[in-house]
Amino acid sequence: MPKHVPNAKRYKYPLPIHPLDQLPELKLYNPVSWVYWLYCYTFSTNQLPSKIHAEFTHGKHLTIARPDDMRYLWENGFFGTAQLSRSEPTWRKRTMARLGLSEGSTALEHITEKRRIERLRFKQERSQFEAIKLDMRQRGVAEDHILAEERAFLKSLREKEKVLEEEGEVHLREVDEELFGPNEQLIDIEVLELMPVEGIFLTFALPVLEMNVKTLLANLAGDEPTYADIHELCLKYVAYHHYRSHGWCARSGIKFGCDYLLYRRGPPFQHAEYGVKVLEACKPFDTTLFTGAARVLSGARKPFILCYVELQKPESEVLESWRQGRLDKVFRSYKVGEVSYRRWVPGKNRD
Amino acid sequence: MSSDMNELDEESFIPSSLLDSDDEADELPQDWSHIAKLSKGQVVVPKRGEKDYEPDGTNAQELLLHKAKTVMFDSLSDASRGSVVKNLIKAYYVPDLHKACVPHPKGSFMHTMGKVDRDGACWLSFFEFVYLAERGTIAPYYKRKESEDHALDPFLGIQDLYMLFKSQKESDEFAVYAHLKRLGFIVMQSLQNSAEVGSVGQFEDSAVQKLRLKFCQTFESLSKSISNPFTLPFYHPLQYHLTRYCTSAQIYESLNKLIPYAAAPKTLGELQKDLRMENVSAGIWKFSFDVWKPQSNFRKKTPGLPDFQVVVFNKNSHKENFPTYHEMRGLLKMLNCKMDFLNAPANEQAKSAETEANKGATKKKSKANKKYPPHIEQQRRIKRGYRSFVLATMDDGLVSFIRITETDFGSENVWFKPNNVPLRKEKSGPKASKHSEEAKASK
Repeated sequence: MPKHVPNAKRYKYPLPIHPLDQLPELKLYNPVSWVYWLYCYTFSTNQLPSKIHAEFTHGKHLTIARPDDMRYLWENGFFGTAQLSRSEPTWRKRTMARLGLSEGSTALEHITEKRRIERLRFKQERSQFEAIKLDMRQRGVAEDHILAEERAFLKSLREKEKVLEEEGEVHLREVDEELFGPNEQLIDIEVLELMPVEGIFLTFALPVLEMNVKTLLANLAGDEPTYADIHELCLKYVAYHHYRSHGWCARSGIKFGCDYLLYRRGPPFQHAEYGVKVLEACKPFDTTLFTGAARVLSGARKPFILCYVELQKPESEVLESWRQGRLDKVFRSYKVGEVSYRRWVPGKNRD
Repeated sequence: MSSDMNELDEESFIPSSLLDSDDEADELPQDWSHIAKLSKGQVVVPKRGEKDYEPDGTNAQELLLHKAKTVMFDSLSDASRGSVVKNLIKAYYVPDLHKACVPHPKGSFMHTMGKVDRDGACWLSFFEFVYLAERGTIAPYYKRKESEDHALDPFLGIQDLYMLFKSQKESDEFAVYAHLKRLGFIVMQSLQNSAEVGSVGQFEDSAVQKLRLKFCQTFESLSKSISNPFTLPFYHPLQYHLTRYCTSAQIYESLNKLIPYAAAPKTLGELQKDLRMENVSAGIWKFSFDVWKPQSNFRKKTPGLPDFQVVVFNKNSHKENFPTYHEMRGLLKMLNCKMDFLNAPANEQAKSAETEANKGATKKKSKANKKYPPHIEQQRRIKRGYRSFVLATMDDGLVSFIRITETDFGSENVWFKPNNVPLRKEKSGPKASKHSEEAKASK
């Protein structure tokens, strides 16, 4: 594998089902090319050569264990979250780097860790200085003098920051030895976990997972579900499918207190643009729910979208379709409507 | 123009004002040192510094706090305040009408407030009355009986005025009213009743239209189902054996037919259609205020459409919950204010013509209104949304405003199209664009 693959190439396909873009050129003046094209067209397929194996671990977590599959789902539509990484499965790479088995990585987790260490160091320095400052104040040193000292201290900190270098030592802990298999190979203990809605999307909407729809549904909602059992899942899925199918990359929004985050292309390209909360259309909600989520999201500068999902058919009909496995009928009975929720500052709307 | 635009990064197209300007920063706290300059005897004004984390045992913090407090109190107590008796405008509260009358009105408040009757007396609504009294513009009196003689009418204090509120709702509304007024907005009570009459009228003559609409709808759905009887449903297991997709866009297009969505009305025609269509009600909700941005050429008689409409909501009240989606839709339907999205494209055309004529003079304007490439235009459209109203939330006496805007993700497709990205990106992925072009040709 080459060292650096540009993002546009690595994440070329937005969905795990690829379009037929390897078809030969069709030349109008050359009938042979028509035949060849037709041949290629008939014998190629959008389907994956082999579907991805997923299984339920601990009864409810839909996981994918094969490293290639994990990578495939991440690179083609950014599905799932790796359990030991932020989202992309990088644990193996990071561990190799940590143990000195491969060259240093620039995984996001590393950058964050470095930044955290720097911040911690800064805080330590600052608290030391606070102590000095207090001492000066108690001794009755003039405020001007203290201020000058503080300035000098900050300046020295900045210089230290410049010098700060990464130390490349390898710490092998005792537990690390358990990570190696019989032939000195690092065992990949990380698995990719899919949200239930992602699972449905990758079996029902796109034939990507090996699992069949019936088993998936039985695992998610039980064998003989009542409408109450499937209600929440249906709402979430309808919203998820709505955004996915219009081209958004929807990922879990739990970090920001909402249901989904919408990326335009995907996490490596841009920050998430919107935070979405999925709600029931006719139910009243407590204001705190909105203010809380809006507070967190506006801190991350993401507009807050309330996605209301409304059931338009009787519950029994939906349940019947669910039992028959006609998921398209189930999800078609819902309707999606959106409003955005935004703080309005009078002072900024006067012009 | 377009070629050099392509060189730029996508993000740089979005003006920073669009990036959630409302959330950016809170207003600064009131700095009393400015006012303190006006009052006598103040020489040194202590500056506000950063907060320390915890008390450190010394009195440095307390000293700073004390200084700031002194400035505040000094500026309040030392400034010369009050009103000149000769200029005093007397207003009489008439309990039966829940309004106030100013027999001899004068002053600039008449510009945006009050109604002058035939005798030249100005009638203030209760909110206007309390607000002006709070500001010291008028002197409030309580009118005891129907007589021209005001000699015995008692003078009202501010607390007395507050006692005249008829309900909690009214006092909440007043808090919002006064808040917006103090910030310079022009605020009028919404004439909801007349609007309701209007919509009722519409419904009466729309019975026939409704029938026709229903007919059209069924016909449409019928024709839809007839037009493509041969395609398998997308979610059929055999589907991928029979159909081939040449671009990702085709896959997306067959995916996005599944979930029905509420499309926001985007043009005047669609708005009118929406008014006739569904019969959603806003329940107990109604607009309390019409709000105009501060402007000097405002006319009470012909105010034009308001810039915002405000609903007041008390968070602590047991009777009220945050509006449900249906109620929001009802409110959006009742909306009668300026809608920026309606005239956005038309305006742009006019502006561009204007800039052709006198380039130098309107250069700034053209910059603000410049034409963006379609995907940026789309980004802006989604972010801006469509109809909107302001929800003023009262929480233990604190007012905060929320803008609820109808948005429409269903009508926009944002999947990545390799051939309309800026040049720089194409360079990094030349294969992708080439293939998709081929695929298009093969269609």
